[in-house]
Amino acid sequence: MASTIKKPLNPRFQLLISIALIVGVVILTLCLFWYRATLGPFFVSLLVITLASFLLLLILRHFLLIWFSYLHQRELAYEEVLDRYPFVSIIVPAFNEAEVIQASLASLLELRYPYYEIIAVDDGSSDGTYEKMREFEGNHYGVRVQVFRKENSGKADTLNYGIRRSRAPIVVCMDSDSRLTPDALRYAVRHFHDPNVGAVAGNVKVINRHNIWTKLQALEYIEGLNIVRKAQAFFRTVNVIPGPIGIFRRSAVEASGGYSSDTFAEDFDMTVKILAEGWRINYEPKAVAFTEAPEELLDIIKQRYRWSRGILQALRKQKHLLTRSSGTVTTPMSLWYMIFEGLIWPAMNIFANLFFVWIALLYGMTKLLVLWWLLLTVLDLLVAIHAILMEKEQLSLAPYAVFYRFFYILIIDVTKVFATLEELIGLDMSWGKLARKGRI
Amino acid sequence: MRFDWVNILATVIFVSIVVTLILAVASYFAYKVREARRPKTAAELRQEGQVKVFFDQYQPK
Repeated sequence: MASTIKKPLNPRFQLLISIALIVGVVILTLCLFWYRATLGPFFVSLLVITLASFLLLLILRHFLLIWFSYLHQRELAYEEVLDRYPFVSIIVPAFNEAEVIQASLASLLELRYPYYEIIAVDDGSSDGTYEKMREFEGNHYGVRVQVFRKENSGKADTLNYGIRRSRAPIVVCMDSDSRLTPDALRYAVRHFHDPNVGAVAGNVKVINRHNIWTKLQALEYIEGLNIVRKAQAFFRTVNVIPGPIGIFRRSAVEASGGYSSDTFAEDFDMTVKILAEGWRINYEPKAVAFTEAPEELLDIIKQRYRWSRGILQALRKQKHLLTRSSGTVTTPMSLWYMIFEGLIWPAMNIFANLFFVWIALLYGMTKLLVLWWLLLTVLDLLVAIHAILMEKEQLSLAPYAVFYRFFYILIIDVTKVFATLEELIGLDMSWGKLARKGRI
Repeated sequence: MRFDWVNILATVIFVSIVVTLILAVASYFAYKVREARRPKTAAELRQEGQVKVFFDQYQPK
């Protein structure tokens, strides 16, 4: 893809802009507290109504997600057994993944699927990834492993390189730090029985549940991400096919022009392009991929910063789809939902928290504050238990729901808001690869 | 002495929200500083059109 190289800003200057943004937002927030004397009862009532609407919206969102995810779960209750399984190519792109690549490839050789091949592509690594991949090259009880090496050009280009070398009608794109469960393919492939389905999103789970951050992320993947995908799958319009496990109909990938390198969320960009072509996208909860989640707060921020800006970049690129679509009417709806979840909701959440603190300080409405906290915590706990039971996950994750909204999501939302501001002013960014601990 | 649990709980919630917000902003700031200090990888330099050259190649005359 042709792209113009923009001269990047000096890193110190970029940092100064970021600091100016942070200071600006903090000052604006403090202004809210400072202006308390000038606010009349009408304005306070208006704010209370806004907050009540926010709570109502939150409850409605939770209710709809639970209801539609339940309906999708019911659809999957019967297991459709295919009489013939299609040939599948698994594309494994890797860049400096020496710590995890062998465990990942070994897990792929244990899949319970009759007819598949593995195409591993090294994206110009410098840590010996290619040499470790080469040890797997060859035929393993009917599974052919091909290993390629190319100059470094990014994940999107590496996936396209692998797809071009595959001749299978179904292509699985995954991350090299992911591990698929043995039945993942068998369950995912059954959805392609429907000729309108262009892709299937898999179920991503956190493997390294060692500390509070990874446990909160494990809960987030179950409660926050998978339940949304499940609800969207009821309408066959899943709006993010996750990087660790995405199963595609080859013709859908070709029709959409393959992965693009011009955003930092190539998986979201690809999903939008497939939806735009009129394909349906389903979700398979039993197609599980385990992934290594960042274990430190700054690494989580780094990952979420990239996701937020990448999603915005892809939305900007495909903004024409917000109003019209060559596909179904649900495509624009799905994109609007993404804007709501990615941009509007985080800002509303921060605002709601600040506002409740503000009125508690100003008017001493401690009962209201406690009631609000209790309501949201009970709601989060119920949704967490529901999601955990549906996924047959560890019930010990449920208590983390108490810290989920008021601690974890608040931190993530602050990152999302700053990332959005930086994307809007067009600050440079780099991919920023996460250091892996080799937990898979 | 009778404890007012509502007030105590409200204080705990209030303090935790404020501390979390401060932590969130401070962590974001720390992340930006860390990223600015991080040396660029060869791939990033190439993307920006810069070539990482440590030594000039010796050309025998």
